[in-house]
Amino acid sequence: MQEHVQLDQRTINDELLNGVLGFRSWWMPALGISVLVFLAGAAAFGYMLNKGVGVTGLNRPVFWGFFMVNFVFWIGISHAGIMISAILRLNHAEWRRPVTRAAEVLTVFSLTAALMAAPLVHVGRPWRADLWVFPYDFARGVWINIRSPFIWDPSAVMTYLTASTLFVIIALLPDLAIIRDRTTGWVNKVYSVLCLGWRGTPRQWKLQAIAGILLSALVLPVFVSVHSIVSWDFAVQIGVEGWHSTIFAPYFIIGAIHSGVAAVATVMVLMIWGFKWQNYLGPDHLDAIGRLLIVVGVTWFFFFFLEWIFALYTLEAPDIALRELQVFQWPWSGLFILFLITAFFFPVGAWLFKSVRRNLWLMFITTVSVNVGMWLERFLIIVPGLMRRQHMVFDWGSYHPSMIEILMVSATFAWVVMGMILFSKVFPLIPLFDVKEAMVFRDETKIGRRTVPATIRE
Amino acid sequence: MPNGSSPNGTAHAAAAAHADIGRDMLARHEKTAPAFKAAVVVCAVLLVLGVIGFVLRLTGGVGDKVLWGYHAALFAFILTTCQAAPMAAIAPRMAKAEWRRPISRTAELFTVVGIFNLLLFIPLLWVLPSLEDERRSLWFFTENADVPVYSPHIWTGLALLALVAIGVMMLWVSALPDLAALRDHSSGWRQRWGSRLARGWYGTSKQWHMQKNRLGILGAFYFLMLVFVHFLVSVDFAMTLIPGWIDALYPATHAANALQAGAATVIVTMYVLHRWCGYKDVITLEHFWGLGKLMFALSLLWFWFWFSSFIILWYGKKPSEQAAIELLMTGPYWPIFLTTFLLCFVVPLFVLMWNNVRKSIMGPTLIACGILIGTFLDRVRLYVGAYSVADRSHQKELSLDAIPAAHTPGLEDILLILGVLGGSVLVYLLATRVFPVVNIWERKEGSMYEWHKPFHRTEVKVLAKPE
Repeated sequence: MQEHVQLDQRTINDELLNGVLGFRSWWMPALGISVLVFLAGAAAFGYMLNKGVGVTGLNRPVFWGFFMVNFVFWIGISHAGIMISAILRLNHAEWRRPVTRAAEVLTVFSLTAALMAAPLVHVGRPWRADLWVFPYDFARGVWINIRSPFIWDPSAVMTYLTASTLFVIIALLPDLAIIRDRTTGWVNKVYSVLCLGWRGTPRQWKLQAIAGILLSALVLPVFVSVHSIVSWDFAVQIGVEGWHSTIFAPYFIIGAIHSGVAAVATVMVLMIWGFKWQNYLGPDHLDAIGRLLIVVGVTWFFFFFLEWIFALYTLEAPDIALRELQVFQWPWSGLFILFLITAFFFPVGAWLFKSVRRNLWLMFITTVSVNVGMWLERFLIIVPGLMRRQHMVFDWGSYHPSMIEILMVSATFAWVVMGMILFSKVFPLIPLFDVKEAMVFRDETKIGRRTVPATIRE
Repeated sequence: MPNGSSPNGTAHAAAAAHADIGRDMLARHEKTAPAFKAAVVVCAVLLVLGVIGFVLRLTGGVGDKVLWGYHAALFAFILTTCQAAPMAAIAPRMAKAEWRRPISRTAELFTVVGIFNLLLFIPLLWVLPSLEDERRSLWFFTENADVPVYSPHIWTGLALLALVAIGVMMLWVSALPDLAALRDHSSGWRQRWGSRLARGWYGTSKQWHMQKNRLGILGAFYFLMLVFVHFLVSVDFAMTLIPGWIDALYPATHAANALQAGAATVIVTMYVLHRWCGYKDVITLEHFWGLGKLMFALSLLWFWFWFSSFIILWYGKKPSEQAAIELLMTGPYWPIFLTTFLLCFVVPLFVLMWNNVRKSIMGPTLIACGILIGTFLDRVRLYVGAYSVADRSHQKELSLDAIPAAHTPGLEDILLILGVLGGSVLVYLLATRVFPVVNIWERKEGSMYEWHKPFHRTEVKVLAKPE
């Protein structure tokens, strides 16, 4: 990193705990708005439970609409945490330190938002979910149908949620102990329980470091499997020709990383604005994540290109018809152009300039743009894929989301925002111990006439 | 204390240390061991055998592509290994991984083997059928008659040429400071070569700045062109020859396999340099560990890409996809597929997962040898399998209706295999006489950026980050 600000431990504690031990002026209005939107979504959900799924825009043949788009979108965002935490930790990338906690927390809340979007809401009458299990179908003995992607899917998502939560808790322990030592009364008792007796002994530090590395290595295959399996929900079947493609797993993964890392960059900017953490997060960090985003974005575009080229390569009429629908028929054509511009050409083109990568506002706009585009991408895969006219299909047509769906989808966004805001009030969003370690590891040297920053290698 | 971090005395000492590194590395470069000469002779003999095999193959004509399966597989093998090896220099350099420094030239030097592979590609231009019969191809707009019927041949040829040209240019730009050192401190033909190739390199600030920028740009272009060539070759020279095999992931799999095999190629070369060429103190455990970790990650990627394709083709139960699986995995080539699976994924996973093995010199080297064998078998499975499918017209709507038997290599093929392997090594060996096989200037630069200092009760490595 070019810009080093050397701070003592007390200042680090004071500044990074300003959200937990202090009170930010924006905190209450932001929480209020997100709670209101969430409650509106909850009310819409209640209405749908009372009236049935007919109040949504879902109808033959488009039975996967906003809810499934949202499910895939939030699973995608959840890939940010592991990408930033595990991969960068294993690579000893120094700039990861202030970013990891927010990324991991974003993972956890995104996953719960995904679970709200699909299994809870999408099924329409969730109380009947017990009928999936009971009475038990003994046609296969006691074994479940492990060939069904709908068995793989919840298994992978729940494993990922468990691993991500563990990731957050393990990394939180030293910071919880600091809060414990700076609080009194019942708050102190709560943090005393939460920090699991952390005293910062050499053995505890060693165990925490080993747990972090082990979790990083073990969670990576889970991270890859989750979105692969989500993609196979679509791709293993041959019913929808546009979805039956071998590229889907890597294409979904790289798309998830694209949107997830962009979301982390958005959160980074918001943290700088909201908590005044310029001493910890700055243009250097945004520059680093911007460069990472260029690589991820270009790779995503390559897979997008392969997906398209091989859809045309099949020379099969339904495939070609789907692509014609996406590109030439209004409103899909307009959405398609918007998707390409917002997901790739505008942000990646902008990130090529260092001045953009180091500018808070421009990074905020471009990273939000990526997620607008990536949401549209999932929409354009799912809805036109289902609505094309086929042999032996007597209903076809378009899909218009109802206000009920829009409210419920908005509620998932509000849920994640609400979760992050509440988390920031109870736990520090930047890991204190990691930042302190970075300060200890810093050094500098003179090479020729220049003073150059240096770092102790872990 | 770091070199140059203190007053003038230390700065002079640092300059002297750099000069020592330069002198030492040049001296090693100029020394030709008897084993080197023996290796050149053996490789030359193998190359001659290969030429004989090629001539024998030519006598059978180029009309029957079934006969040329092994030739295509060898071309793809060199593309996958030697032409991907420079990525072991490009990727760590972009990621600013310090361990790359001595081995970056070792990897970049493989770009010259691309010239040899370009020669191997030429006969395939005659062997690959044109698009006249409207067969399925990447250039699927042939019905409009606007696309030349030799589009696969033209575009793949041009892309391959561009890849080789960019690679050689990158090697030259990277070697400029070392060539200038040869010009200034060597004698005889090496001095003349250094003088010719170093042009006007004097190490001014402007020249260093431009060299760094050009290396970055050429590295990025080499990577993009490598992926593009793999895309074209894997589709037009293999997939399109098997009716019904539609695998959108296959080009990316082909390229990802190349990254794994490229890393394996460099590790094996590093071992040779470490063990037999007097670079034991330069190419050390740190380099095997660094590249071994990358190879381990790429072995996991091998499985994920393969499984992502397999599950879709297998689950759908479409007859055309079942036939493709039978030809390439469960049918005539199943022993080859199984061996590839073991050598490229199972063995690397269960061996390299142990840090003790990963952090050794023999561990990554043995696994790299296995990966190279596995990759060769994989290319045989894919290319010989594809070339053994009989030519058909109007393949658009077809799937494989009969699975061809496995094509075992004849005498010509065996001679060709020996010749291509020997020829590739020979080209590399000769290139090491002109360009220092270990990067001298990057090593000097690294010595400026790295030092050790006491830290509490231990000693730690400190790394300067000038960028």
